[in-house]
Amino acid sequence: MKADGAALAAPMHPAMPELRLSGLVKSFGPARALDGAALSLRGGEVHALMGENGAGKSTLIRILAGLDSADRGEVTLDGAPLRLGTPALAKAAGFRFLHQELHVVPALSVAENMHLTRPYPQRMGLVRWSALRRAAAMALDRLGASHIDARARMGSLGPGDQMLVRIAATLLEDGVAPWAYVMDEPTAALTGTESARLFRAIETLKSAGAAVLYVSHRMDEVMRLADRITVLRDGAYVATRTRAETTRDEIIRDMTGRSLSDLFPARTSAAGPAVLAARDLRASGLGPIDLTLHEGEILGIAGLSGSGRGTLLRALMGAVPRIGALNLRGNPLAATPAAVWAQGMAYVPPERRTEGVMPRRALAETVALPHLSRLSRWGFFRRRAAARLVRDLARDVRLKATGPDQPVSELSGGNQQKVLFARALAGDPAVLLLHEPTRGVDVGAKFDIYTLIRARAAKGTAVIVVSSDLPELIGLADRIAILNAGRITRTLPTDGLTEAALLSACYQKED
Amino acid sequence: MATFLRHYGSLIGMAAIVLFFWIALPDTFMTLRNWLNISQQLSMLVVVAVTMTVVMVMGDFDLSVGAMASLSGVVAAVLFTYDLPVAVALAAALTVGLLGGLANGVLVSLVGILPFVATLATLTMFSGAAFLVSGGKTIFGRDIPQGFADFARFGLPIGSWDGKPVLLPALTLLAAAVTFLVWVVLEHTTYGRRLYAIGGNAEAARLAGVNVAYLRLSAFAFTGVGAALAGIMYASRVASANPVQGDGLMLTAIAAVFLGMTVTRDGQPNVLATVAGVVTLGVMDNGLTQLQVDSYVRQVLVGAIILVAVSISALGRRALRRH
Repeated sequence: MKADGAALAAPMHPAMPELRLSGLVKSFGPARALDGAALSLRGGEVHALMGENGAGKSTLIRILAGLDSADRGEVTLDGAPLRLGTPALAKAAGFRFLHQELHVVPALSVAENMHLTRPYPQRMGLVRWSALRRAAAMALDRLGASHIDARARMGSLGPGDQMLVRIAATLLEDGVAPWAYVMDEPTAALTGTESARLFRAIETLKSAGAAVLYVSHRMDEVMRLADRITVLRDGAYVATRTRAETTRDEIIRDMTGRSLSDLFPARTSAAGPAVLAARDLRASGLGPIDLTLHEGEILGIAGLSGSGRGTLLRALMGAVPRIGALNLRGNPLAATPAAVWAQGMAYVPPERRTEGVMPRRALAETVALPHLSRLSRWGFFRRRAAARLVRDLARDVRLKATGPDQPVSELSGGNQQKVLFARALAGDPAVLLLHEPTRGVDVGAKFDIYTLIRARAAKGTAVIVVSSDLPELIGLADRIAILNAGRITRTLPTDGLTEAALLSACYQKED
Repeated sequence: MATFLRHYGSLIGMAAIVLFFWIALPDTFMTLRNWLNISQQLSMLVVVAVTMTVVMVMGDFDLSVGAMASLSGVVAAVLFTYDLPVAVALAAALTVGLLGGLANGVLVSLVGILPFVATLATLTMFSGAAFLVSGGKTIFGRDIPQGFADFARFGLPIGSWDGKPVLLPALTLLAAAVTFLVWVVLEHTTYGRRLYAIGGNAEAARLAGVNVAYLRLSAFAFTGVGAALAGIMYASRVASANPVQGDGLMLTAIAAVFLGMTVTRDGQPNVLATVAGVVTLGVMDNGLTQLQVDSYVRQVLVGAIILVAVSISALGRRALRRH
């Protein structure tokens, strides 16, 4: 394909290919990762692949990508057997993979990043920079991403725009045109605005005849984007459903055998006396904010991205500079994370891997870190006391790990999140600050985490939950404060609150 | 097999090296006297490498330790020439190490310069300062107090052999004490656990209530004092001081820490592993010298062994990740 306008504007695959996988079996040693998995993917559709962690989604994708080979099973493209098994074969079959971590070169321009795997346009051995930029800009434009400047440095872009650049780059390729895009939790690191742009790009790909295999735990995204939904459980195919004819409840039952209404444990807490009071709290892009939190209360914080939700929690922790009168159980709140943890406030940050855990180190170290002073005598760390604490907590949060010494990176996303919960609960905190507590976590772990939060609240811990998952906020919180441009515009009780009403409140300025 | 190699490959390699020299030098290598000799030769390197481990557990490193060892040696020696008491001169030399280490710490943690750049700059400055202080000359002979030079020759009698007393060298004891101290600090105090946490994930550590800036600063000070102590030990052993005599310690110390990292399960620095790394390098040097291998050939061989160990460890880790 030449990098000029006419070729780019043509639909990619008028023929609408169909890929079929059936009866896939794959074992790793004694563990059977796939046990009769199946999938049918057609050009021109968005197909969601769902299942709890360990259901076999990743293995299926690795087989498609040629990183693993199935022990048994059939793969056909338009009825003809398709040979996979190496990344090159997968590429030749027209598959493209967008992983959570994108491989980009931050120091090069957007246009150059888009040309990394193909020759730059040249004249007499010199790069034709204008043609390079034009080709890049055209591909971005076609994806509805014209807000990205092809000359910008890749590193200056957010993760959402980087993903759009990576998708646009596939439109520039020579040879077999890509027709099937596999996206594994693509919105895990994206803000709401970035996600909306990605969804538009997905629609564009789809209307050009491409297929998108969309792997996500986020039910609202799946219900909004997908044409069909395939569910795997324990490595086996459960069902493929048409979005228009199914419900969230049915999908969750497919995945877990449990119903959605069971996901949120019943409210038990009656709010007690005030524990945390903030008057005139201000930080960069935040405030002034007045806030009172009571014992046993779960306060939800909703708002669009950029409304200051994350800053509010970081300001309370003392992780960003702040001013204002803050009071925890009658004492002034300290101004550094170290002192705030010691005062009885615990924090679960939104970015598990970059802000939360120490991936390569033993999980016990992540859990014990904020509590080291309590776990030591005369500055000497009491290893055995720490191990005991970690073991008790691991049982409380139903952590699946081989022991306190297992490195965090070996755990699934849900269990990594449970490590952070164990850490937050270790000091019996008076206040628990949670930011996206179930991001990238499977349904089973979600249920465990909700149960934990409720149980703590019932014991008198006050909780603040920031989440972009609106059903989660409504299901979990007693009342929800709406943040807009750094201020609380309204506070709504969750009784009888609908998602639509909450979302429209998020978009409203002050009333 | 990959797992086995990954966990024990380096240890087996180290044992193989010892075995090789034992067979090649049946009479002289595996003797108490030779090992005591090796331990004394290595004592300065142990002190530098072990205190270097303190910054390396945070994922940082310090290139200025060799220059600092030279500087502290000449500072002590120059003060001797003014007939100051030995204790005062040594305290001054250690203070220079503390201040130099603090300077590194301020540059890295408060100003925010990459350790490579910051300590490369201070390396040059310390080296220049060592020439300035000494006037570029070697200080030796009557300028060095007898008691100071004797320290390196003292030892703890631990028996006799062939009628001559066998002494555990004072420098070896000092290095062992420093090793024990750093091991306790890193493995058994909250201070050390927090340093490891910074190496694991600095931002996560900060949000979990670790005072990252203060800890990084103090860790560099620790390393600076260690380098200064090694410089003093060196000056005592050779009963003289010149402005470049500690310079070679830096690269070997970093190599020893890396070599040690290949032994640990998680591939991260650790005091005892560092000592294993130092001993491996020292044994090779000792054995090859006794075999009368040319010193340039020796350098090539030592470099090659480091590469082989680190490569095996890297390949092993990649194999592990695949499973």
